[in-house]
Amino acid sequence: MESLNPRIRFLWIAQGVITAAVLGVVLAAVDQLVVTVPTAVLAGTVVLVLLAGILYAIRLYQIWQFELQSDALYLERGVITFVETAVPFVRVQHVDTQFGPIERMLGLSSVVVYTAGSRNADVRIPGLTPDRARELQDTLRDLAIDSEADDAV
Amino acid sequence: MNRLHPLSAVTYAIQYGFLWLWIPVFLVVVLAGVFDPVSGAWVPVAAPFGFLFGIGYGVAYYYRFGYEVTTDTVDVSSGVVARRSREIPYRRIQNVDIRQSVFQRLFGLATVSVETAGGGDTEASLYFVSEGEANRLQSEIRRRTAEAKGQQRDRKRARRDEAKREGESEDEPASRDLIGPEPPEEFDRPAGPTDGEVPPRNAADDTTRVRDATGDVGADARTDRVGPEPADRTEGFGPVTDRDRREDPTAHPQKERLFDLEAKELLLYSFTSFRPAAVAAVLFIFFFATEAVVDLFVTIAQPFGGPTDLETGDTASYGILTIISGVISILVTYALSVAYTFATYYDFQLGRVGDDFVYERGLLQRYSGSIPSEKVQAVTVTDNPLQRLIEYGGLWVETAGYGPESNGGSQSAVPLAQHPRVYRFTENLTGVETPKFEGPPPIARRRYLVRYSLLAAVFVAIAFGVSTVTAFENWYVAAAAFLAVPPAAHLRYVHIGYYVGDDHIVIRGGFWRRRTTVVPYYRLQTVSVRRSIFQRRLGIASLVVDTASSRSFFWSSTTVYDIDLEDAREARDTSRDRLQTALRERAADDDLGLEVDFT
Repeated sequence: MESLNPRIRFLWIAQGVITAAVLGVVLAAVDQLVVTVPTAVLAGTVVLVLLAGILYAIRLYQIWQFELQSDALYLERGVITFVETAVPFVRVQHVDTQFGPIERMLGLSSVVVYTAGSRNADVRIPGLTPDRARELQDTLRDLAIDSEADDAV
Repeated sequence: MNRLHPLSAVTYAIQYGFLWLWIPVFLVVVLAGVFDPVSGAWVPVAAPFGFLFGIGYGVAYYYRFGYEVTTDTVDVSSGVVARRSREIPYRRIQNVDIRQSVFQRLFGLATVSVETAGGGDTEASLYFVSEGEANRLQSEIRRRTAEAKGQQRDRKRARRDEAKREGESEDEPASRDLIGPEPPEEFDRPAGPTDGEVPPRNAADDTTRVRDATGDVGADARTDRVGPEPADRTEGFGPVTDRDRREDPTAHPQKERLFDLEAKELLLYSFTSFRPAAVAAVLFIFFFATEAVVDLFVTIAQPFGGPTDLETGDTASYGILTIISGVISILVTYALSVAYTFATYYDFQLGRVGDDFVYERGLLQRYSGSIPSEKVQAVTVTDNPLQRLIEYGGLWVETAGYGPESNGGSQSAVPLAQHPRVYRFTENLTGVETPKFEGPPPIARRRYLVRYSLLAAVFVAIAFGVSTVTAFENWYVAAAAFLAVPPAAHLRYVHIGYYVGDDHIVIRGGFWRRRTTVVPYYRLQTVSVRRSIFQRRLGIASLVVDTASSRSFFWSSTTVYDIDLEDAREARDTSRDRLQTALRERAADDDLGLEVDFT
């Protein structure tokens, strides 16, 4: 099983920080406009959310794993709900590599695998170095072509 | 390129006329508020201009809209200013539907929609063409799709033979002539209603099929029509008169009847099923006629001790009014639901043409659709508690397209029939063996007990909250909700089941609308095992089997809830293995995976 690049933790922590900041602003607005929120409560909530976000990011990194098995891409992920997914190569419709602004700053990239399914139709593997992402994309594409079969739909 | 029916120019003109009417009106009103020279009094002048422009646009839209059924694709080009040309390859078509509203039926018109798996809405919508043209299109597309499939199979077989290098000895010669002796000029034949047939895939098979069907035509011509009027649109399915067909009767498989919804079944279905749309309709009525409805409630409640009007009354009379209003609302909703189901499924018929399912239904609005059987993703048997009580159920087939109603790609193949029949149909259709269901471990029931107890507790808490702010005092009555917890948990528990078969996985779940879904392994997209923190503590997991069938929000992914982790993982691994085996097997022969003659 392959783990993600450790730098992905910073991305998820950054997301936690953003959530905490947004929550802080909302609470401040409530304080100004609706009811008075004691500063201690406000700060406490923000700090709690921040801590939870950081712990969540670290735990998620520990859990996230993926592997190219003989017939399928296999992934394990999820802190609250732990999900083990198998995406058979025959079902891969197309493969993307993507990166957002924060990912770009961290030098990370994601691979997104699309299937024709109705739910879990796109599977994202975040936190890969751009080289690894490209390599994985090529491998998946080749595997998908090799295992060409009847149309899925 | 073909044009739509001339009358659609009129409807487009009217539609766009009323749409554009508002644009100058809106502009004048806004500008009048900003600039002094513009006055609100210009509206009566500006509005007709907008209307006329809209009419022009609608007519232009009609003239700029073209569709064509070519050798490889269905082409639609549209747009007055910005043009869009769309080509849909036959092999990608999921289903072709014909819809007729009451107005369209009066004028002999129909709307044709072509669905593919991609995209969020209908890929090609012809609004509208004449009835004859609609039927011609439907069968023409069906025929061409079958042809494309035949070619694909030919290529596949050629590739395989090449790989084998064992010569033609194994390949059956004449009986496997896939495309059939189709005269080439057939492609350019004018749009007559007669060329509505599918070429044979398997000539030997089709000969018997046609003979059966022709006998059937003589016996009961009514079931062999596709549209609501039998007389001049039965050509494709009527007695053999066409010259081509006399020369080669095997070239045109006829429509065969698979299932008709009988009057008794229709009534049972109407009375035992409930449509959420009815609630929406009742709310709509209440929203737009609140006062009239409330007055009506007051009038009806009066003889039973209700208040004389809304202002005067005591707690008891208001209570009576509330109860009476509730009862009336429920009755009206139910009546609407019954009427809606009745009108929708009136005269339901399912048939087959070649390897395609064709259905039609409807009292006021007619629907007629065709589903290629190779596009069927999964087959589901549904029943609700009432239907289970009388031992009836319905059979649905799921495709990746979007159906005429908002039920995703699910099409009712058999709206309602007795359980043994429905199960037999399912087994015939999919070839699944009679499932021996396995259920979740008893610990799952404990989980539901806890979950529903929490829900009941929330309910009591809400009641308590209400009692603190209103005159309502007996909040503890709400604790009766706890009585419902054990039965609810038990019912949910007993209705969960799954069966890992040789070629299919069968998944069952739900009490109010129980679904038993048969998923062939070769239709699997992804398989997941999910465990929430609670499930992890209890050592149980949910198995999510995803297929390409497009389902609505309510009709969620096929999931087996709360089975043993080991069982879930085993089922997942089996499914993965069998998917690979099934794909290899399907590559090696032309097995459709479905038996079309399932009734």
